[in-house]
Amino acid sequence: MSAFRTIDELEVALQAADYLPDRGLSTALFLSLALEKPLLLEGEAGVGKTEAAKSLAIATGSRLIRLQCYEGLDVAHAVYEWNYPRQLLHIRAAQEGTVSEDELFGPEFLIRRPLLEAIDSDEPVVLLIDEIDRADEEFEAFLLEVLSDFQITIPELGTIRARRKPAVILTSNRTRELHDALKRRALFHWIGHPSIGREIEIVKIRVPGVSERLAAEAAAFVRELRGLDLAKPPGVAETIDWTMALNALGKQEIDADVVEQTLGSVLKYREDIEAVRDETLAQLVDTARATAAR
Amino acid sequence: MADAVVRHVVTFGRVLREVGLEVGPGRVADALRGLDVVDLTRQEDVYFALRQTLVARHDELDLFDRAFNAWFLRAPVVPPVRTRELPVEQQKVGESLSDASGGGEDEEMGDPLELGASGHELLRDKDFAEMTPDEYRRVRRLIAAIAGSRPLRASRRRRPDPRGDRLDMRRLIRASLRTGGDPVDRPYRVRKSVPRKLVVLCDVSGSMDAYARALVLFLHAAVGSGPGVEAFAFGTRLSRLTPELGTRDPESALEKCTEAVTDWGSGTRIGASLKEFNDLYGKRALSRGAVIVIVSDGWERQDPELVGREMARLARAAYAVVWVNPLMGNPEYQPLAGGMRAALPFIDRFLSGHNLRSLEELAAVLAGIERRHAA
Repeated sequence: MSAFRTIDELEVALQAADYLPDRGLSTALFLSLALEKPLLLEGEAGVGKTEAAKSLAIATGSRLIRLQCYEGLDVAHAVYEWNYPRQLLHIRAAQEGTVSEDELFGPEFLIRRPLLEAIDSDEPVVLLIDEIDRADEEFEAFLLEVLSDFQITIPELGTIRARRKPAVILTSNRTRELHDALKRRALFHWIGHPSIGREIEIVKIRVPGVSERLAAEAAAFVRELRGLDLAKPPGVAETIDWTMALNALGKQEIDADVVEQTLGSVLKYREDIEAVRDETLAQLVDTARATAAR
Repeated sequence: MADAVVRHVVTFGRVLREVGLEVGPGRVADALRGLDVVDLTRQEDVYFALRQTLVARHDELDLFDRAFNAWFLRAPVVPPVRTRELPVEQQKVGESLSDASGGGEDEEMGDPLELGASGHELLRDKDFAEMTPDEYRRVRRLIAAIAGSRPLRASRRRRPDPRGDRLDMRRLIRASLRTGGDPVDRPYRVRKSVPRKLVVLCDVSGSMDAYARALVLFLHAAVGSGPGVEAFAFGTRLSRLTPELGTRDPESALEKCTEAVTDWGSGTRIGASLKEFNDLYGKRALSRGAVIVIVSDGWERQDPELVGREMARLARAAYAVVWVNPLMGNPEYQPLAGGMRAALPFIDRFLSGHNLRSLEELAAVLAGIERRHAA
C-alpha cells in the first residue's frame, strides 16, 4: 500500500523532489500507488511523462528502473541474458567434465535487465516503461503477462516472483493504439501542457537563479509558440532548456535579438524556426512581455 | 462506501457505455476503489479518479467530459449521439467481404480466378472506370487477393535457422559443455521478417470517383492482411478510415466517409489534407519507417506549394513514398497538375492503379520496396 494517505501528502513529497504536477497527475500517481495498478501516461512530447516517474521514485524513496522501448526490443534486452563469454571462459578454465550445466546456468552468469531487476528487487522500485508504443506487439503481450503476475520464468533457474510489487509507469506517444488488454490493466492519464502559472513555477524550480521576470517572459513566449501552427510545439522541457540558456547569457528579460540567437533550443525543426522570424518573432516577443507583465 | 455512491457509479458506467466507451465491470470496480481513497468532497479529485479508471483512450476524454458534466454536475449537456454505428452492430454485418454484398450472384459466378483465361486477361487490363457492374463484381475477389502483399522489415527477434547470420549463443554454450569449451557445433539464428507499417491515404474526391470503389476494396483487404495497416480518406478534409475498413462492408463505409470528407464543389485540398495527416498522425510518428501510399490524381488547385512542403515532411519520416495515380493509365497523361508536380520530387515510386494489372504491380512494389535515400 501507499505510504501516502492523501493526494495532498503525495503532492508535498513530489514538490520536495522539484516536481510540480497538476492535480490530475497527482491524482493519477496517487491512485496508481493506492490501487497497485500500472499507470499509463500519454501526452505530447515534452510534457513531463518521464519526469513524473523519476519524481515519483524520489518522492517514494524508491529506486527508479527504466526500460526504454524500441522497435525490436526483445527478452534479452528487457528481461535477462546469459553472459556467454563468461560461461565459455568458465568451461575452458575448469577441467574437462567438471562443469555441470546447472552451474553454468546459475545466477552468477545471469545478466539482469530492467524487468528482472524490478521484479527481483528487495528495495521499493518505480519501474518506468518508456515509450511502450515503440516496442512491437509481441513484446507488449509479453509485458502484459509480467504486469499481471509480477513473475518471470527463466527456464534454467525457475520462476522468480516479486516480493513487493513495483510501482509501474508506462508512457506512450500514441504512435499506435496499445492493446486493449494492456489498457484494461492500467489506469490512464492524459497530460496536457501546464497552465502558464504552473509553467513559471516549474521554470523557477528547475533553473536556479533565474529572475522572476525572465521565467515569466520565457514561459509566456513558449505559450505563444504553442499557439502557432508548428511541426513540433515546444514542451516544458524546451522551456526549461531555453530559460537555462538565457539565464547563462545573463539575461533578465527577453528581447527579439536574444530570442533569435537562442531559438534553436526551443524549436527543433528548421521549418519551425523559419516560420518564427522577423516581424512574427518581434510580435511574439511583445505579446509575451505584455502577458508576463500582467 | 455508501450504497448511493456505488449505484451512482454503476449507472454512470452504463451511461458511458451508451455513448460508446468500453466500460467493463473491472473498470467500474477500479472506479469504486479509486473513489474510496480520494476526498469525495473535492470535485476535481472525483473527476480525475473516475476519468483515470474509466477512460483508456485520449479520444474518449471528450465524451467522458460531457457525460460527467451531464451526470454529476447536471449540466444541460446531452452526450452526443454518435454518428458512427456502434461497433457491436458493425461486427454483425455480413460474413466475408465477397459474401457481404455480392450475394447469391457471386456464388453462381464461382471463383473469379477460375474464369476463362481470356476473359480474365481482358479484365486485367480494363480501366476500372469503364467496367460494367457485372465485370466489376468479377474482379473484386482478385483485388482482395492482390492486396495481401505487405512490405516486410527485419524484426530484432530471431529464430533458430542453420543458415542464419548470428550465432545462437545459448545453444552453443550448452553444446560446448560436452566438448570442453570448444564450440564444435555452431547453431545459428536468423531474423524474422515482420510486416512493415503501411499507411494508405486515399483521395475520394469527385475526380477520383470511378476508381475509389476499386481502391477501397484494395484498402479493405490490406487492412485485413494484418496489424500495422492504417488507411485514411481525404477530399477537402482528412478522415481516418481504418476502423471502418475493419468491418465487413467496406463500400458503404466508403460512402459514409466520402460524405464526411468532401464538400461538393470546393475541390480537393491535397496539401491541407497532407498537412492534417502530418500534424495529427505524423507527429505521433505513425509515418516513421512506414511505407506510405498516396492514391490521388494530384488535382490540387489551391496551393501546390503547400503540397510540396507537406510531401517533404512526409518523405522525411517515411521509409518510402508510393504515389498511385489512376490518370497515369491514360498514355497521354503528363504529371503536370499543379499538386502532382510539386509532389513528384518526394515520391519513390509512381504507379497507375487504374486496372487489375496495375494493382498487381502496386502489390509487387509494396512487397519488395527498398528505402530511397534521396530525400
